[in-house]
Amino acid sequence: MIQIENASRWFGQVIGVNDVTHTIEPGVTALLGMNGAGKSTLLRLITGQIRPTTGSIKVFGNEPFANPEVYKRMGYCPEIDQFYEHRTGRQFVNYLARLAGMSAAEAKTRTDEVLHEVGMADRADKKLAGYSKGMRQRIKLAQAILHDPDIILLDEPLNGLDPVGRREFMSYLHTLAERGKTILVSSHILFEVEQMTKSIMLLHRGRLLAAGDVSLIREYIDKYPHRVRIETPQPREVAAKLIQLPYVLKVEFDEWRGGIELQTRELNQFFAFLPTLTTEENFTITGFSSPDNNLESIFHYLIE
Amino acid sequence: MAHENSSGVLSYARLVTVARISNLTVRYGNFTALDDLSCEIPEGCTGLLGPNGAGKTTLLKTILGFVNPTSGEGTVMGKDIRTDGMAIRQLIGLMPEQDCHIPGMTAVGFVSYAGELSGMPPADALRRAHEVLEYCGLGEARYRNVETYSTGMKQRIKLAQALVHGPKLLLLDEPTNGLDPRGREEMLDLVRSVSHGRGVNVIVSSHLLPDIERVCDRVIVVIKGKLRTAGTIKDLKKLAGQPADVELREPSLAFSNLLMDKGLTVAPPKGNVYRVQSELPPEELLRVVQRAAIESGAQVRGFETAVRTLEEVFLEALTS
Amino acid sequence: MSNIKPIADLSYRNYDGPLKKPGSRWWVIAKNGIRIALKKKALWGLMFVSAWYYLVMLVVLFFVQQVTSSNPAGAQAMKAFMERLIWPDQFLHGFSYAQLPMLIIALMLGAGSIANDNRANAMLVYLSKPCDKREYLFGKWIGIALPIFVIMVVPTIIFYGYGALTFREYGFLKDAWLLPKMLAIIPIAAIFHASIVVGISSMFNQARNASATYAGIYFITNFFTLLMGGIWASSRGETPFPVKHLFYASIDGVLIGVCKAIIGTKGSAPFGIQSPGGVSQVPAPNIAAILGIALLISVVFVLIAWRKIRAVEVIG
Repeated sequence: MIQIENASRWFGQVIGVNDVTHTIEPGVTALLGMNGAGKSTLLRLITGQIRPTTGSIKVFGNEPFANPEVYKRMGYCPEIDQFYEHRTGRQFVNYLARLAGMSAAEAKTRTDEVLHEVGMADRADKKLAGYSKGMRQRIKLAQAILHDPDIILLDEPLNGLDPVGRREFMSYLHTLAERGKTILVSSHILFEVEQMTKSIMLLHRGRLLAAGDVSLIREYIDKYPHRVRIETPQPREVAAKLIQLPYVLKVEFDEWRGGIELQTRELNQFFAFLPTLTTEENFTITGFSSPDNNLESIFHYLIE
Repeated sequence: MAHENSSGVLSYARLVTVARISNLTVRYGNFTALDDLSCEIPEGCTGLLGPNGAGKTTLLKTILGFVNPTSGEGTVMGKDIRTDGMAIRQLIGLMPEQDCHIPGMTAVGFVSYAGELSGMPPADALRRAHEVLEYCGLGEARYRNVETYSTGMKQRIKLAQALVHGPKLLLLDEPTNGLDPRGREEMLDLVRSVSHGRGVNVIVSSHLLPDIERVCDRVIVVIKGKLRTAGTIKDLKKLAGQPADVELREPSLAFSNLLMDKGLTVAPPKGNVYRVQSELPPEELLRVVQRAAIESGAQVRGFETAVRTLEEVFLEALTS
Repeated sequence: MSNIKPIADLSYRNYDGPLKKPGSRWWVIAKNGIRIALKKKALWGLMFVSAWYYLVMLVVLFFVQQVTSSNPAGAQAMKAFMERLIWPDQFLHGFSYAQLPMLIIALMLGAGSIANDNRANAMLVYLSKPCDKREYLFGKWIGIALPIFVIMVVPTIIFYGYGALTFREYGFLKDAWLLPKMLAIIPIAAIFHASIVVGISSMFNQARNASATYAGIYFITNFFTLLMGGIWASSRGETPFPVKHLFYASIDGVLIGVCKAIIGTKGSAPFGIQSPGGVSQVPAPNIAAILGIALLISVVFVLIAWRKIRAVEVIG
């Protein structure tokens, strides 16, 4: 487990992360933020490549900086895309296995296993220089899981993968999480992050803006009450009814698609009330939804 | 394609084809990249989907006039792909996936240079470069050296250099690559506004299917060198029988059982969402669902006509 | 009632203006290369430095002229000086002493021309436009050759003009073909430098590596030439066959050889200095041979550039 306590790190005058405190539990956690928000710095702090200028980072109770004991239990799948291009994928992974301390025989078996798990078993014998982006991503993941680490950190892991590859990768991460591993994924592709986990860490300009369960975070965004879209051929009548509810703050008519959109802070009360419109008062409603109940809207609201 | 308007007058809607590929086969040595592929890309915004290595890239190269096909033919905006490659590239704008720029120039310099390379006279190129950079959202930064730019700005410049000569067909290869969420939104909005109502046809190649859904009207799916699916996104997403997706506050077995007792088909929930099949019109179905929810103590939080996601369309095309 | 809306629609609009057909892109590329090079202030300084021999001679001759016309006593000495001066050799010296500055100018113009493009993946941009490898290479090449030509030709013509107007009685116009010969030699130098620079630039990802390589070749081969020259001078022409020809086996050597062969002189001491003995200049090489070598080297490097320009996959 990763414990970050008041960690700050700056580079000259440029702040990387600013006073971040959080504990990352086992399971999949998403690390989000705009470009330049400090995600890479945080990952480098956790993987022990740099030390926090103030505060502390502890991985399994130890400081990760230059600490092989911690490294043994961590796997890192970085964003950068540079390998020993003249080697084959298999040779590369094998080399890293040996570097991790495995004997020649162990390294060979483990390399085979790992290549099989990431789906590169049949393609790993060509030179890395000729690999597509997706293949390179798989090799990166392979080297990250070689030593069966308890913590895996991935920076934009799905980059370059086609839809099938993305599905496979995400389900593989899910399997790893179910085995009790701590997985930290940094990604910009919010609709996929949504499918991977409910637990996020949102960095903004170096500070931890939000952390925890996505739906809980949504509750706390006071500035933006929940939006509900209602499809109905009787927008004005339905609106007239809904306006009378004290917890409905705003009702808008959608000229383009028909229907109405309203804002309320009390989702529970609202949805408890809604059935009366259709069942008791016989209004015609053909559909409704909460358009801003997703990660992308939350991100948008938090980071204006 | 003739249709009648409200006053009964017949009129013909011309479906203008932007690119027409007929029985195209492309081989690299022993490897068949495209296998007897025929497709028509009409006006508007088309998404190009396909697994890596399945011929998507070859198809794009073919549209650009770079590939000498083994057999078959094609035209892009009326020009033959075998012989008129240069003329095609004058009418097409390409936004490549990889990072690329001309070293040592400001954004204005780069974009106007790109314009001149496409054949614009220098004065027009400069004027137009400013226009296009403004449109792509680059303000004062356009006077800075391109090498100092962030990823988001680099993507915008790539789009600007593709648009500067006023192409009739725009090819975008992973346009949101490397962009953070806000950058992605802005880029997708840009693409959407160029492709709708401006007479610029767009082909977007991307692995991010929700991006394609947001921007394109139609898709073409290329798998193993063949055309597997083509059609409007709306049509492809339609599910037979108009099922509804019901989202509850929490999953409820009682709710599901109750509905099944009433003769409706209810699929096992995905998270909190149940897919319900019935013959009833939506408003009736909603009433039934809400009554069942009240009875079983569940709360309905969402009710929508179920559609397939584009990802499901793609995966189905892959396995069929 | 006016139909014009008061608020303009500033969203994207199409471009329906003229588009030139492919075939003229090389000039755009060349213009761009020249523009980038002209921004370097050192270039302007080097342009003057490259003409330093002509400048010095202009000053010397002007001084001589003043002295002869005002002081009859010094006139005799000056007259002897003027008789000693071999005019075609002045152009040879002007040309050959310009070579080192010209090397630096060529590198400033061209070392980064293709190297920087390699680093920035610029071929993706070029190839996605109606512009092919031929126009690209030709544009880059002309962007180096043309400025070199202009920088060399201008001082030459100025000096020729001064000489033709002022020193006719001293036999300046004895060889009527002198100017045309120079106008033939200078393009050869431009072609030679541009071809090598373009070839070397295409081999690297960084301008300074290309610069270092060409400069290295230049200096090492030059050292060799100086060595041969020294051997020749000290042995007063009685050396085995190769020295006479190996003298020209360098970048400088090839160009000087071309110049000597076309002008038809074997050279003399610069600035009209009296040279001790007589046989200290290596004779001109065979004109066909030296021209052939110059052309061959140029073609080889252009071919290197052609092969090295990665026609990248625009769709990866």
